[in-house]
Amino acid sequence: MSTGPSWYSILPVAVVAAAVPAPVTATVYLSIEDAQRAMFPGDRFIPHPIAFTPEQRKAIAQASGAQPYDKVQRIWEARAGDKRAGWFMVDRVIGKHDYITYAVALTADGAVRGVEILEYRETYGGEIRNPKWRQQFVGKRPGAALKLDSDIKNISGATLSSKHVADGVRRLLATYALLLARA
Amino acid sequence: MRRCRPLLGTFVEIECDHAQAMEQGFAAIERVHRLMSAHKPDSELSRINRFAHLRPVAVSAETFEVLERALRWSRLSNGAFDAVHAGNAALGRGLIPRHADQPLPRAAHWTWLEVQGACVRLLKPACLDLGGIAKGYAVDVAVAAMKQAGAAHGLVNAGGDLRAFGVGTSPVTIVDPGSRCGGVAHVELRDAALATSAGLPAECGLSFDHLAGIHPGWVSVTVRASNACDADALTKIVWALGHRSAHLLAASGAEAFAIRADGSLEAIGEQALAA
Repeated sequence: MSTGPSWYSILPVAVVAAAVPAPVTATVYLSIEDAQRAMFPGDRFIPHPIAFTPEQRKAIAQASGAQPYDKVQRIWEARAGDKRAGWFMVDRVIGKHDYITYAVALTADGAVRGVEILEYRETYGGEIRNPKWRQQFVGKRPGAALKLDSDIKNISGATLSSKHVADGVRRLLATYALLLARA
Repeated sequence: MRRCRPLLGTFVEIECDHAQAMEQGFAAIERVHRLMSAHKPDSELSRINRFAHLRPVAVSAETFEVLERALRWSRLSNGAFDAVHAGNAALGRGLIPRHADQPLPRAAHWTWLEVQGACVRLLKPACLDLGGIAKGYAVDVAVAAMKQAGAAHGLVNAGGDLRAFGVGTSPVTIVDPGSRCGGVAHVELRDAALATSAGLPAECGLSFDHLAGIHPGWVSVTVRASNACDADALTKIVWALGHRSAHLLAASGAEAFAIRADGSLEAIGEQALAA
């Protein structure tokens, strides 16, 4: 596989004015509707949002170690015919710098059936203004890939942001147990 | 199509325009996750850590293969790659849990691990961590599953261990995670694997001293190899051995470079000698 030193190249860094706010890039994987269809194929969705009371927030934090970020949790009941197929919840957590939006599908009795990342937003420093670097986000051809989260990892391989998603899922399970299990 | 799920303690992204193949790819990774998670008490890895010092623990073909590969890299690198040492360190730092009936490790390195006929034995209590190789392996089995399901091309990225297959090239950007210096490299990947291992910026309150013998002045190491398992293991070996890893890279047809703290790149291996 020896192709000489040319198998990689350095991207020049543009000099930028400090006053310009850091740009945000977003990778969108799935819309809410697409995720619903993928996680509960063929089912109907009935919105079941929960606007948390302060007491509920506290109870969730106590049970899971984290307070919800959102004032209103976006939740849908998935229905297959006249039976409950499960719950579909949309949530967000902080990634390295910005929000990661994700969806969790629960079975009717509250077991995790799947987790899908919907949108991954990150704020970058100056390097993003390099046009060649920015191109990476456009996805102009199939197969275009971007290694975003390359490697803030510890020895067990857990990235900090993925731990935040795991914590978020735990919080959603507490939300289910406290507010949906008897709904 | 591009999907992303939290698996293997990171984000796994699969890109493929064959929906069924993509599901097969994720299913393969979920299986590796179940088998080799140090966090789940009933994973095969945890059962090794809990019981293999008492009696041989039978494991699946997948776990067997990862352990064989891990031992091979330990032998070749003279212990620079060491799942036993890594596990002890991770346990000591509280990064992985010690399960209820799991003994305190007494073995310091890989020579206390024996893999034979799909059975695993520990000659002394030890705590294996496969974080340094299982992600790459998971990427490889996902690619195999996707090909078998009929995908002509695709890309699997498990938090920086990635592999592209089929026609066409995939542009990959390697970001320096500390990214104040803007050290950024670009690779066009075609039918090959790439793995990056980075240090952690000190301001996160974390250090990267877990990477034994870390090369001063480097912020990340990137290896290109034919498969992701080898690329993953080799990043750790390059970190530990620096330019002394050249013969190991060459022997497996792999190549590497480091991003330095000032954002410049440093070739490692044969190209460095040729330059």
